[in-house]
Amino acid sequence: MNSIAYILLITFAGAGITFIVHHLIKPLRDIIAITVAASGLYFVIQSLTEKTKIVFGIADFNIIWGNTPYSNLFAVLIAVLGFLTILYARDFMAEKERLGYFYMNLLFVIGGMYGIVYSQDLISLFFFWEVMTWSSFLLVIYCCKEAQPIGLKYFVFSAIGAYSLLIAIVMIYAQTGNLELSNILQNFGNISEVNQIVIAVLLLTGFGVKSAIMPLHVWAPDSYSISPSPFTALFSGALSKMGIFGIGMVLFKFASHSGYFSYVKIILAWLGGITALLATFYAIFQTDAKKLLAYSSIGQLGYIIIGLAVGTPLSIAAALFLVILHGAFKAMLFMSVGAVYFRTGTTDMNSVTGLIRKMPLSFVTMLFGIITVSGVPPLGGFAAKWMLYESLIQSKHYFLVIVVFAASTAAFLYLYKLIFSLFLGQEEVEWSHVKEVPLLMLIPMLILSAFVLVAGIFPGLVLDPISHAMQYLGNYGFKYETSVLFNEWGNKINMQTVINVIGAVFLIAGLFVTFKGLKKTRYVTTKDIHTSGEIPEENENLTYAVDFYKPFERAIAPALKASIDKIYTAIGNNLEQAFDFLRYVYTGNGQTYAMYVVLFLSLLILFAELIFGIKL
Amino acid sequence: MFNDKEASKIVDIIKNFARKHSLWVVAYGTGCGAIELPPTMTSRYDAERFGIRGSATPRQADVLLITGYLSVKTLKRVIRTYEQMQEPKYVIGFGSCTINGGMYWDSYNTIKALDRYLPVDVYINGCMPRPEAVISGFIKLQQLISEGKADGAKRYRENLEWYRENQRKVIKNWRMPEYNW
Amino acid sequence: MEINWSAVLGIVFTPVIAFLVGVTYGGLTRRITARIQNRFGPPFYQNILDIIKLYSKESNINHGVMQHLGPVFAITASVTTLFFIPVIKDSPVFTNFSFNGDLIFLLYIMVFGSLGMALGAGQTGNPNSAIGVSRGLSQLVGYEVPFVMALVAIMVQFQTTSLNDLLAVQDHFTKWIIFQSPFAFLAAILAFLGMMGYAPFDVVIAPAEIASGPPSEFGGKYLGLMLTSRSIFTFAKLVLFTDIFLGGAHDFITLIIKTFILYMIPVLTGIVFPRFRTEQSIRFFWSWPLFFGILAILVVVF
Repeated sequence: MNSIAYILLITFAGAGITFIVHHLIKPLRDIIAITVAASGLYFVIQSLTEKTKIVFGIADFNIIWGNTPYSNLFAVLIAVLGFLTILYARDFMAEKERLGYFYMNLLFVIGGMYGIVYSQDLISLFFFWEVMTWSSFLLVIYCCKEAQPIGLKYFVFSAIGAYSLLIAIVMIYAQTGNLELSNILQNFGNISEVNQIVIAVLLLTGFGVKSAIMPLHVWAPDSYSISPSPFTALFSGALSKMGIFGIGMVLFKFASHSGYFSYVKIILAWLGGITALLATFYAIFQTDAKKLLAYSSIGQLGYIIIGLAVGTPLSIAAALFLVILHGAFKAMLFMSVGAVYFRTGTTDMNSVTGLIRKMPLSFVTMLFGIITVSGVPPLGGFAAKWMLYESLIQSKHYFLVIVVFAASTAAFLYLYKLIFSLFLGQEEVEWSHVKEVPLLMLIPMLILSAFVLVAGIFPGLVLDPISHAMQYLGNYGFKYETSVLFNEWGNKINMQTVINVIGAVFLIAGLFVTFKGLKKTRYVTTKDIHTSGEIPEENENLTYAVDFYKPFERAIAPALKASIDKIYTAIGNNLEQAFDFLRYVYTGNGQTYAMYVVLFLSLLILFAELIFGIKL
Repeated sequence: MFNDKEASKIVDIIKNFARKHSLWVVAYGTGCGAIELPPTMTSRYDAERFGIRGSATPRQADVLLITGYLSVKTLKRVIRTYEQMQEPKYVIGFGSCTINGGMYWDSYNTIKALDRYLPVDVYINGCMPRPEAVISGFIKLQQLISEGKADGAKRYRENLEWYRENQRKVIKNWRMPEYNW
Repeated sequence: MEINWSAVLGIVFTPVIAFLVGVTYGGLTRRITARIQNRFGPPFYQNILDIIKLYSKESNINHGVMQHLGPVFAITASVTTLFFIPVIKDSPVFTNFSFNGDLIFLLYIMVFGSLGMALGAGQTGNPNSAIGVSRGLSQLVGYEVPFVMALVAIMVQFQTTSLNDLLAVQDHFTKWIIFQSPFAFLAAILAFLGMMGYAPFDVVIAPAEIASGPPSEFGGKYLGLMLTSRSIFTFAKLVLFTDIFLGGAHDFITLIIKTFILYMIPVLTGIVFPRFRTEQSIRFFWSWPLFFGILAILVVVF
C-alpha cells in the first residue's frame, strides 16, 4: 500500500476509534487523536517524494486517488494545520463535553480535506466534499443551541454549493461520458463553449461557497465565530482553502480552452476585489474578536481569488503563497484569540483589555499574526502582497490594484483594534487573575509564528513547492531566488537585505533606548497616566475601545448602508409571498401530482438533447 | 586630551545649555494668573524666542507653572501632575498668592505658601505679574539652571517625608497613589 | 572579504545628515511660523536643543515593553526608509541599499513605524493616545489611496517600480515627472499634506484637543527618540518626493533647495489653515486627490 491510502485510512479509522475510545477510556482519547493527526502528517511528508495512484472500481466507475504537486501543496497545509489544531485542542477543549463527537468530526473534516485534494475523479471528490461539509456543519453547531440557526445558514449555503457542484458533475458526465479527472481534462476542450462556461461557472459557485466569495459569504462570519476556536483555526486556515483548491483547478485546468473565460476571470477578479474591500470595512466595525477575524478571513480569501483570477505567473504565485501564509497566520490569530477566550471566557473586544503582561507569548503570536496580515515587512505577508501588487500592475489591472491597496491599508484599522483592545490598553482589575495559557497551546502558536518569520526572510523556500504546483497547473514559470523576488519588469526586492537593515537598526536603537539611563527608567502601571491631575479609582474603566473607529465610520457611512445580508432578508421575505402562490400548484390532490410527473417526464424527453446532450 | 572629569564637565555644560534653552511648560492654569500666559506666548511678548513652549502633558514637560492661588482641591492635582513629570523638573511660583497667600491670605480653602508643598525654584512677584515679569522669571530660572542651582526635584526627593506631611495636613481625603522613586 | 568603504560611509553618514537636515527644517519651520505670526521666533537650532534636553532627562517611565519599543520601531522604519532611497543620484556613497528595494517596499516600510508607534502608544493605556491612533489610522486610509494611485500611474508610465530607474528617466529638467505626469504629482502632493501631518490634517497630534495624542505618555529619552525619528523621516519623505517628481539631485545643495521648496508646501499650508475633523479629512482625501489620481491613471492608460 502507499502513503495516500494510509493517510485516508488512518484518518477515517482514527476518527471512529477516537469516538469509541472516548466512551471507553477517556484519557486515551486525546493521545489517539494526536497520534492520528501526527501519523497523517508523517505520511503526507512521505507522499511528497512519491507519485502514486490508487485505482479501484465501484459500479462501473473508476475511483482514482493520487497526488500531484498541486495537491501536495494543499495536503501539507492540511496536515500541518490539522496536527497543530488537534495539539491545541487538547487543553482548550479539556473542560468541554461531548469530546468524542468533537474529535471524531474534527478528524472527519481533516480526512475529508485529504480526500478532496487526493481525488482524481469527480465521484470521490464530491463524496469527500460532502463528508467535509457535513462534519464541519456538525462542528459549527457543536457549542450550543444558539448555533443551530447559524449552522442552518451554513448548511443552506453549502447545499447551494453542493448542488451546483453536482449539476456540474452531471453535465460533465453527460458531455464527456467520463468522471476521471485526467480524461475530462483532455476532452473538455471538445465540449461546446456555452457548456464549458456553464460548467465552469457552476463549479466556481460550488467551490466559491466554501471560500466565501461575495455574495456567497453570508454564512461565514457567524459560522466562524460560533465554532470552537481550535476548529475555527482549521476552518479558516485549511477548510476555506478547499474552495481555493477547486477554483484553481477550474481556472487553470478546465477554463483554459475557451476565449470567453477571460470575462469570467475578470468578473471573478473583481468579485475578489469587492470581497476584499467590503469584508475589510465590515471587519473594522466588529466588536467580537472572532467575528472580526472571520471578516478578515473573507477579505484575505478575496486577495487569493484575485491572484488566481488574474492568472499571470507572479499573481498565481502570490495567490498560492497567500494560501499557505493565510493558513498559518489565520490559524495563529484564531489560536491567539482562542487563548484569550480560554482564560477570560469572552472574545468581546469592548470588555477584555490589557492582557499583554499576563499573556506575553499569546501577544507575540498575535503581533506576528497582525504584522503578517498587514503585509508590513519583514514578515511573510509582505512577500505575498508585493508579488500581488506587482503582478496586478503589470497585468494592467490598474483600478483593481487600487481597490486591493485600499483594502489592505484599511486592514491596518481592524488589525490594530484587535491587538489593542485585547492585549494593549488599560490593565483592568477584572482581568488581573489571567495567566498565560498551557504549553501545549503555546507550541502550535509559536511554531506558526516562526514559520511566518522564515517565510518573510526566505520566501524562496515556500515558493519552491509553489513553483512545482504551478508547473502542474499549466507550465507557469517565474523567476525567484531564496530571498530575492523579481517582478516582470525585472525590478527586485531583496528580503535578506531588508531583514539585515531592519534588524541592525532595531538592535542598535533598542540597545540605546534600553541602556540609556537604565537605572532611572522605571515601570509605572497603566493607571499612572496623564489624566489632567485626576487620580483614577482602582476599578475605574479608562479604556477607549467602544466605537473605536467612529470618525472612520462617519466618513464611509454611505458605503456601509447597503448590505448583502439585507438583500437576502428581502429575498427571504418575498419568497414567503412566492410560496403562497405555490399553494395553488401543490394542491394536495394525487391526480394533480400524477399530471405533473407526466408533464415533467415528457419535458425531459423533449429537451433531453438540449440539456444533457444525450440522444434518446 | 580630556580626562574623565573634564569630559563630564563639558557634557554637563552642553546638557545644561540645552535644558536652559528648552523649557517646556505644562499649562496648568490654576488661578487667575493663567490669563497672563497667552500674551506671554503670543506675538506681543513671544516667549518662544527663549525656547519656552507649552507642552500638552506632564510627561513631556520641564516646568510646572503655578499661576496664582491654589485651592486645596487643586493642590492634589498639582502634586499629582508634578510627580508625573520627568526629572530634571522645575516649579515656578507665579504671583503673590504662591508666596504668602496674597489677597487670599485668610481664606479657609487656599494654601498660603507653595514652598511647603512643592519645591519652588523661582517666584515671580506681583498681582498680577505682567508678561515682562514672567519672562524675567524664566530668565532667572535659566540662570539657575546654567549654574546648576535649580535642584528642586532633588530637594523634593530628599525631603519627601516633610513635603508629604505638609501635604497630608491640608488634603483631608488623601487617596494619592504611592510615588515610587 | 573586501569591504566597500563608500557603502560604509553612506550607511554611517546618511542618517546623520538626514537627522541634521530634518531637525534644522523643523527649527526653521518654527521660525517661519513665528515670522508669519509677527513674532521673533526661536533660533533655527531650537529643535536640536529640545532633543538634547529630552535625551538628558534623568528619569524616564514606561508602561511596559511595547511602549519601550514603540520609538524603536519608529526610528527603525525611518532609517530603513532612508536607506532604501537614493539620496544623491548616481553617487556610490549615498545610494545605500536602494537597488535592493522598490516603491512598493517603501510604501509598506513607511507605515511600519506608525504601526510600531501605535502599538507603543496603545500600551500606555492613555485614552488620548488611543484616540490619536484611531484618528491616525483612519487618516492613513484616506491619504494612502490617492498616493498609491499617483505611484501606480508613474510605475505604469515608466514601466518600472524602482526609484533608480525613475531617476534615470529624469535626466533633464524638462523630463521631470512633475512635468511628464502632472496629475500624479497633484494627487501625490495632496496626499503628502496628510502624510506630513501639519494643519489642516494634524488630527493625530491635535495638542489642544487630545493632549498630543499618541505621544502623550512619552517623555525623556522616548520622546527624544521619537523626535529624532520624525526628523529623519521628514527628510526621507522629502527625498523620496524629490526623487520621484523633481528628478533627484546630483549634490547636496540642489537636494536641499528642492527638498526645502517641497517642505514649504505643507508648512505654509499648515500655518493658514485650522484643523479638519477626522472624517472631513478622510473625505477630503477621497475627493480632489482621488480625482487627480484617477485622472493620472486614465491619462497613462489612454
